Amino acid sequence: MSTEITSTPFAVAADAVVVATDLTKIYGEGDSEVRALDGVSVSFPKGQLAAVMGPSGSGKSTLMHILAGLDHPTSGSVLVDGTELAGLNDQKLTLLRRDKIGFVFQFFNLLPMLTAKENIELPMKIAGSPPDPEWQATLVEATGLSTRMTHKPAELSGGQQQRVAVARALLSKPAVIFGDEPTGNLDSKTSSEVLALLRRAVDEFGQTVIMVTHDASAAAIADRTLFLRDGKIVRDAGHLSAGEILDTIKTLE
Amino acid sequence: MIGLVLRGLSTRKLRSALTAIAILLGVTMISGTLVLTDQIDRAFVQIFQQGNSKINVVVKQKPPFKDPQTEVFLNAELVTTVRAADGVWLAEPFIQVQGYVIVDGEAMDQTGGAPSFVFSSVSEQLNPYSPIDGRLPTASGEIAIAKEIATKSKAKVGQAVTLATQDGIKPVKIVGIVQYGDGSTSLGGSTTVLAPLIDVQNWWSLQGKASYIYAKAKDGVSDDELKANVRAALPQTDVIVQTGKEDADEQASVLNDLIGKIIRYALLAFAGVAVLVGAFIIYNTFSITVAQRTREFAMLRTIGASRRQILGTVVGEAFIIGSVASIIGIGLGMVFAWGLNKLFGVIGFGLPATGLILSWQTVAVSLAVGVGITVLASIFPALRATKIAPIAALREGVTLPVGRFQKLTPALAIVIAVLGAAGMVFGLISDADTTSRLLTLAGGAILIFVAVAMLARFIVRPVVGVLAVPITKVAGGVGKLASENAARNPARTAVTAAALMIGIGLVVFVTIFVGGLRESFTGAIDNSLKSDVTVTARGFGGSLPAGVLDAVRAVPGVETASPVGGTAAQVDGQSFALIGVDPKTITDVYAFDWNDGSNEAVQSLGTDRALVENAIATTLKLATGDSFKVQAISGASATFTVAGTYTDPTILNGFVVDQAALEPLLQSNATGLNTVFVTETPDSNPDTVQAAVDEALKGYPTAQVQSNAQQKEEVASSVNTILVIFYALLALSVMISLFGIVNTLVLSIFERTREIGMLRSVGTTRRQLRAMIRWEAVITSIIGGVLGVILGIMFGWAVCKGLESEGLSFVFPTVQIVIFLVLSIVAGIVAAILPARRAAKLDVLEALQYE
Repeated sequence: MSTEITSTPFAVAADAVVVATDLTKIYGEGDSEVRALDGVSVSFPKGQLAAVMGPSGSGKSTLMHILAGLDHPTSGSVLVDGTELAGLNDQKLTLLRRDKIGFVFQFFNLLPMLTAKENIELPMKIAGSPPDPEWQATLVEATGLSTRMTHKPAELSGGQQQRVAVARALLSKPAVIFGDEPTGNLDSKTSSEVLALLRRAVDEFGQTVIMVTHDASAAAIADRTLFLRDGKIVRDAGHLSAGEILDTIKTLE
Repeated sequence: MIGLVLRGLSTRKLRSALTAIAILLGVTMISGTLVLTDQIDRAFVQIFQQGNSKINVVVKQKPPFKDPQTEVFLNAELVTTVRAADGVWLAEPFIQVQGYVIVDGEAMDQTGGAPSFVFSSVSEQLNPYSPIDGRLPTASGEIAIAKEIATKSKAKVGQAVTLATQDGIKPVKIVGIVQYGDGSTSLGGSTTVLAPLIDVQNWWSLQGKASYIYAKAKDGVSDDELKANVRAALPQTDVIVQTGKEDADEQASVLNDLIGKIIRYALLAFAGVAVLVGAFIIYNTFSITVAQRTREFAMLRTIGASRRQILGTVVGEAFIIGSVASIIGIGLGMVFAWGLNKLFGVIGFGLPATGLILSWQTVAVSLAVGVGITVLASIFPALRATKIAPIAALREGVTLPVGRFQKLTPALAIVIAVLGAAGMVFGLISDADTTSRLLTLAGGAILIFVAVAMLARFIVRPVVGVLAVPITKVAGGVGKLASENAARNPARTAVTAAALMIGIGLVVFVTIFVGGLRESFTGAIDNSLKSDVTVTARGFGGSLPAGVLDAVRAVPGVETASPVGGTAAQVDGQSFALIGVDPKTITDVYAFDWNDGSNEAVQSLGTDRALVENAIATTLKLATGDSFKVQAISGASATFTVAGTYTDPTILNGFVVDQAALEPLLQSNATGLNTVFVTETPDSNPDTVQAAVDEALKGYPTAQVQSNAQQKEEVASSVNTILVIFYALLALSVMISLFGIVNTLVLSIFERTREIGMLRSVGTTRRQLRAMIRWEAVITSIIGGVLGVILGIMFGWAVCKGLESEGLSFVFPTVQIVIFLVLSIVAGIVAAILPARRAAKLDVLEALQYE
């Protein structure tokens, strides 16, 4: 079911949520020039869970940063839910992130002084819009932490904290959720709980998730697996098993 | 977002509390000062209103200009005219003078600044005093004493005592003990004696004179009606007619200007320093916490918080800390005012007793300053927080970006320093009025402090490099680590040290300034006085009885006794002293420091020539040969020609004329004598002569006989009192800066938790860890202390040079500076106690796992 697209022309799916066209990102100049991204074009349709993999320095983090509007490409264009990111000022980018993008971080980044429930509600509070209570209840139930909502992050395990972080990203029903090594700081058991939640977000709630990961077992739950090397997409595959992923990584290194 | 701010504050309790303390103490001082001075203000109003409660109209003399130290008198016979005015039921003359009663050889006079009064006793219908034992004095030789004196001296009605008057000691009998008003207020710490009008007039050379004429209205005549009637009856333009209430309010406001306002502005100035120091600490604390919360802010930005919301989070935090601190500060201010009140009482300057007043103005000013400064100090850190890119949330080990503002720091600091220096120079040399000069001077000093604080970061590394050598010798590896820690974040160390710098700088400055004042006085005595013994009038504005001069001259061993007198006068609308000397003898006792002129000029003064002190001549643009008109407070005026100029900002500071020329310009009760300079014959001993003069003046209680050494001692002791007060007030600012050191250490230990765990795990003992923190604090406090001393010396030198013409000379306070430096090291050690203990308590395992 895997298809090599490196040679095929770039086609944008009609229901694409994130579309990147010919992205380059160059750090430094002259001899010290580094092409972190070298002409990347890719689109992500709605309701897909995509994993972006690649060795260190392949450009996968840079790609995610640019797709999420956290960094600017040297050239190329990014559309998020139909909005072109190039040329947006800080205020507009902030509003875009607030309304259309959710984030799950490697180090959870929960606020230590807030309870789990308050952390989940935080983005909505910042936006000044009330959360949908039914949706919130569904999410809390999905985290499996209904009884722990009044606890502070310090009283939760890493996996529990990350599930709270996923719920936080989902509460505003963003167009897309970006995960930055969401299991990078977890052991395999707690990883799988978090991954299950992300899978459920896509399958049951129709969300779109793009995550950068090193972890083959994390990528193995994805509908689609992208491999980057030297700033280029070298393989764009559908669902792969952990074994297939490891094999691909070996060929890349 | 507010919820987030509150939650954040409650999680960082210790940090929030330490930050709050930085501003709280300054606000305490501001509100305390305002509460205290409101109280003083109201007390004065109450006292004078009680005094005038039985009086409908007051008639008094209108002086040609106002001089708070000179009482003016009017013709007592005007009372007949007042009595004849429509609606007057009763009118009596009243006199107030200074004097005191002596009970069993003990003088019942004031030791503090408050005057000891003798009042002429008016009828009960007008008198604010009423007898609680005995009666009011009516016949000559009778007195009544205030109950405060009776309590202190245990004097009884019927007891024979003596009264110290301008005309010598008079035997009198106590016929009554009186209280003021309803007894609820006392007249400050003042001691009051009532005596019949005739005695007061005779014994204070005020025959036919009165301070006021009091009038009481017939039933049904209002105060304003009576005032109009009396005014109509008095054609004289040099008298003022007021209602009792108007007079009370005016007297209260005069006294308030003299005392309340000085206390208010002096204390507020020190409160301002405390607030400035607090601002530095708040700035530093917020800078550190913003840096530590970089990831948190970045995360908030990625999940959609705008820059404005980040700004709001930080500033909101400052707002809440500022508000809470200000509210607590206002409360503590009440305690502060109460304490100061008690303190004044203890040092013999009892303030009139009324309750504490918390006015809405006090609350408003305290809140505005407390909240305003906190918010202002947090703005730069908050702006830096908004510069944090959202992407920082996804990266490890991110640091706060360097702001544009920061790169401009050195240039900006230099601009600020230049502005500050310009302000100080303007303040020192311009001829604008004193208030604006002082304000520009203070403003200039603040700018220089700020500039040095901004630049201090550049000297932190080199200074620490130097300090590291001895510290490593003393403390070994721990000392080395401490030095590196102190230099790790130079901006942080610099601002922490700068807060201490301000306090120490001002301590050094006042030491130099006050030392300069003392030096100027003792220098003047050493350089100008040829005499060894001086007789002066005790109490302010007093004259000596004319008999004093003859009494001194009659003492065996006295070679020359040279009289000096004076009056308040104005030239070109500015107030100066007009000094009368005896041309034949003055140059035997006093050495003129001539700018233009000679001792011959003194001999030829005559009745129309005057010598002018150099600084005054400069101010009024007078040179030898110029003529000027002098308006004396008595109402008389005269024209003089400048016969010479000399420099003396201390002893004979004013216009010097012949006694004979002074005479016609004096008020009728003034003797034209307030000082006698005495030299002894070559074959006699100064101490013996002084003792003999003292003995000869036994009958003149207002005369005070002092040797030059005693005069210097008196000045030194009052100067030391001022210094102690200044030190106490500045100690608060130094204390605040100590909280700053504590705060910075606590915060840096917090961010180095993992590192401390590592140090402990590789074998650093708790003791060594504590030593390390202590040395960090000491390094910071040495930097602050040294910078403060340098700035303090510079300010002190500049001000002494600038005021050289007013007699200020610069003395380098070597011993004090060594003491201050040692004290700042001690301060550092004290500040390190709590942070060191916290660091040492950290559990090694937990610390290692800390994120």
